[in-house]
Amino acid sequence: MKILYSWLKDYIDLDLTPAQLADKLLALGIEVAEIQNTGADFEGVFAAQIEKIDKHPNADKLSLVTLKTKDGAQRVVCGAKNLVEGDIIPLAKVGARLGKNVLQPAQIRGVVSEGMICSADELGLAQNRQSGILTLDKNLQIGTDIKTLYGKPDTIFDLELTPNRPDLMSHLGVARDLSVLLDLPLKTPQIKEIAGQGATLKINLPAGQEGCPRYMGRTFKNVNNIESPQWLKDRLSAMGVNPKSALVDITNYVLYDIGHPLHAFDFDQLESGEINVRWADAGEAFTGLDDIERKLDAQTLVIADGKKSVALAGVLGGKPDSILPQTKNVFLESAYFYPPAINKTSKKLGISTEASQRFERGADIDGCQTAMALASKLISEICGGQASEVSDVYPVRYQAQEVIFTPEEINKILGMEIPREKLKQIFTRMSKDFNAAGGKWHFKAPSYRRDLNHKWDLAEEAARYYGLEALAQGQTDYSNATLYFAENPKSVDLGESLCNALAGLGFFECKNFDFLSAKDLAAFGFDKQNMVEIANPLNEDMVFMRPSLLPSLLKNIEYNQRQSRADLRLFEYGKTFGLQKGYPAESFVISGALCGLTPRVKFFAAEQKPVDFYYLKGVAAALLGGFDNISLRPSAAAPSYMHPKICADIICDGKTIGCLGKTHPAILKKYDIKTDVWAFEFTIKGLDKQFNAQVFKPAKEVGVYPASRRDLSVIIDGKTAYEQVESCLKKAGADNFTLIDLYQGKNLPEGKKSVTLRFEISSPEKTLTDKEITAFTDNILAALKRDLAAELR
Amino acid sequence: MTEELKTKLTQIEKTYTEKIHQTASLKNLQDLQVAALGRKGELTELLKNLKDLPLEDKKTFGPLSNALKTKLTTAFEQKQTELETAAVNEELNKTNLDLTLPAYTFDKGARHPLSIAQKRMTTILSRLGFVWSEGPLIEDNYHNFDALNIPKHHPARDVQDTFFIKNAKEDKFVLRTHTSGVQIRAMEKQKPPIRLIAPGRVYRKDDIDATHSPVFNQIEGLYIDKNVSLADLKRDLSVFMQGLFGQKAAVRFRPSFFPFTEPSVEVDVKCVFCEGKDAGCPVCKGTGWKEMLGAGIVHPNVLKNCGIDPQIYSGYAFGMGVERLAMFTLDIKDIRAFYENDVRILEQF
Repeated sequence: MKILYSWLKDYIDLDLTPAQLADKLLALGIEVAEIQNTGADFEGVFAAQIEKIDKHPNADKLSLVTLKTKDGAQRVVCGAKNLVEGDIIPLAKVGARLGKNVLQPAQIRGVVSEGMICSADELGLAQNRQSGILTLDKNLQIGTDIKTLYGKPDTIFDLELTPNRPDLMSHLGVARDLSVLLDLPLKTPQIKEIAGQGATLKINLPAGQEGCPRYMGRTFKNVNNIESPQWLKDRLSAMGVNPKSALVDITNYVLYDIGHPLHAFDFDQLESGEINVRWADAGEAFTGLDDIERKLDAQTLVIADGKKSVALAGVLGGKPDSILPQTKNVFLESAYFYPPAINKTSKKLGISTEASQRFERGADIDGCQTAMALASKLISEICGGQASEVSDVYPVRYQAQEVIFTPEEINKILGMEIPREKLKQIFTRMSKDFNAAGGKWHFKAPSYRRDLNHKWDLAEEAARYYGLEALAQGQTDYSNATLYFAENPKSVDLGESLCNALAGLGFFECKNFDFLSAKDLAAFGFDKQNMVEIANPLNEDMVFMRPSLLPSLLKNIEYNQRQSRADLRLFEYGKTFGLQKGYPAESFVISGALCGLTPRVKFFAAEQKPVDFYYLKGVAAALLGGFDNISLRPSAAAPSYMHPKICADIICDGKTIGCLGKTHPAILKKYDIKTDVWAFEFTIKGLDKQFNAQVFKPAKEVGVYPASRRDLSVIIDGKTAYEQVESCLKKAGADNFTLIDLYQGKNLPEGKKSVTLRFEISSPEKTLTDKEITAFTDNILAALKRDLAAELR
Repeated sequence: MTEELKTKLTQIEKTYTEKIHQTASLKNLQDLQVAALGRKGELTELLKNLKDLPLEDKKTFGPLSNALKTKLTTAFEQKQTELETAAVNEELNKTNLDLTLPAYTFDKGARHPLSIAQKRMTTILSRLGFVWSEGPLIEDNYHNFDALNIPKHHPARDVQDTFFIKNAKEDKFVLRTHTSGVQIRAMEKQKPPIRLIAPGRVYRKDDIDATHSPVFNQIEGLYIDKNVSLADLKRDLSVFMQGLFGQKAAVRFRPSFFPFTEPSVEVDVKCVFCEGKDAGCPVCKGTGWKEMLGAGIVHPNVLKNCGIDPQIYSGYAFGMGVERLAMFTLDIKDIRAFYENDVRILEQF
């Protein structure tokens, strides 16, 4: 929303610099996105004609230009490239003022320059984007004072308004807000009513209160739709609107001036002598001013004559009945449309206009009259013609909600001490309908402030107009406030602990968008049916809510490998999504992906090993070792994106919560990854049971008698899994042993392997004798022989 | 005899004192000690012969010889210590290790900068008594909009460009556009006092550029009790900002609009880089202030929607962007850097 400073002064006397005004607006909650200076802020610049262009004798890039001026020929030095003989250009002579600078006599590379040929930029004409020397109209008389071609110096403020304040979308509106803040009188427009003769069209409002609560119309016959006067064109240009013809320009002007959107129809195109504000027929065709034909539905509010719709109410005019320079007879509409109806149409059809933006936020229903009067006055002044009487259909008069409150209540909400008198002054400036006579104050907001319905709304206004900088920090004594304890959600503390553990193990935490493409789903073999799909995705890569974090991590691996990082350990903690019985379901998942070499402690010369399954298993052990309800088991059926033989299920209380292993080579190919990638993923559900502040795990006592160490090598069948050895040993009573060697090959029978185990043997009661230790190892050996047909090596 | 003995003692003392002094090796010192004080040592032999002397002489020479023995023993011990120390020092001096060679490297990982920034904020707020609360990321229209006083068919709803869910059984799910829905879920479950924070992801259908991301993180704060005013909000946010930026931190309120708060404010924090003293400051662009969060007094309609009587209770709510704070404090200029997961960036934290 743009505001021209001089226009604002129509309504309020301000003596502020543009920067000071911007500060005042900011204090009101109106952010100023840009301040732009316009108009001619220069003196002594006149039109001249380029007669001859010569090369500068001492500089290749400069020209010596001979100009025809009103005082005869003059020569200037110029560096511009767009000089053409015969062009009319602005010449600033020595002594001319450009903004704050006065042009001094100059000698450029040994040649005296008698002035300067100016660009738009040098003249401070920010709106003119032409680069190089400003070329002027060829018919412009030599000697014309250039400043007469442009307006007076002025300032345009580009405001950022919040959607609750449609009343600020005009010069009058901004002036109104400032008048309360600065306690200055508002110069309300006094508009002389134009007397009308004869009736206008018959107006019917079948759409009702939820379509069009008020509609005013008036006909103008025999108008002269000439070009608008300069002052009008200048103001519209400042708003960024190209002037068209007087009738069109006047409706636009009223919109920026007092905020009420109007619409003008070519009266001769309207049939049957009536105007109906109705809902469109389903499938009804409509061609707008933008030349696009649209099929409407029954929730679209239209303006129609007796036969056809002629405008999308409050949004867009129709093509056939639009105003053209030759238009002679006009029907002018000043209406109030129900905001949700306009919002729906604007959103559904994707049309946002200056009018729709005001109507959907809420125009001023009692402002219809002022807008009609102002437009009538301008039309009759500029275009002449004969106005009809005004027809005003307004079945239910708008009644503002009365707010009854006390000044103490206002100050309590704010925690401020705004003096009573100041509050009175603010509310008096805001509304004619304010009464502070009794103990309770009564306030009715004007019709352009429908957002003021209760004391909280008034508290905000009081704070805005009094100034939030006066708000001190609160002094509420919290000593009597109830303290209460609530545990963090499990996902927070558990997640934090797992993430910190992974960071400690050398992993980098990643954060990815939650979106996947159909291609990702296909690559991983996820069924679209069970995925949460976004109806209006940003692009095709962001259609589905991810059911796994691994696709994102593979993309991170690929990205970092391209940056020449080979050894990667990445993880992410986040939510995965799916549909359960048709409803979205979310669960917290932690996933990791690794490639390259292990992050072993390394000296500069030492070798590193590539990541393998046992490394990954070690990560899992370090991460999940503290949970005693967790175990790993080779996957009977690995997920399709994992290696079918190198994948283990992560089991929590008997339920599979995830897996770890090598990713399937076919997937890697699809993600352009040329190395092995190891991965894990599991949901934290089930883990959180143990992760509880109120569960305390008792410490185990440690033995005081020394332990003895014995190594035992046995030969077993090559296909026997280590897990079988382990369970046999545990059954035999060994609880403290480690695998120290595994051998297969020379010196062993075909199909056999040798396993060397180291046992720590101790007793909590005494130091064991040699005899007792031998008895222990004999027992172990017997068990291995019995269960696994093992032989001592 | 006695003169001879006297001469002998004097000679032993002189000889060995000199020899001890001259000895340079532990081995020689040991040999010398044996020669003097060993079983067949010179002084030992001499002492053995004392028993044959007349009583008178014994009385004279006994103490003399013993004193000499003690003196030599002490001299040997001192010399031994001296030589041992010298040997250790020589060994140490021989060491030649290049201490400037590269160290063992511990491949460390790291948390993501957004996790670190969020943790900073939640830690401070937790210490101020705010309790962590959670809500779903796929939210229904009621909790994301209606209950928060954001009317249907009003531009206030359009301001937050929303992602809608296509294929759920009911046509009411969206990706939450803010964390404010957690307020509603908490107030539905719990009666005041309520003091909570709700950090987490939110989604807006914004085109991706240096300052816009369709996925970003917010931290919601809510405090409902009796007599909570806008001034309390200012105090609590000031304390919070002091926790983040130090004692000098100050906040400024500007009027604003959010459908779920009334009055609504934008909260600026005094620029921690230039403290408002540098007109060319790139962080605050010379304004001295940096927009940090949105806040306000909870709208009475929101309280009513959750069954809380706005005539008895009042409260404040605030919401701030984690990315915004992280960009501000870590001097990261492009929000996309957070979601690129470039290890060269991640390893800096």
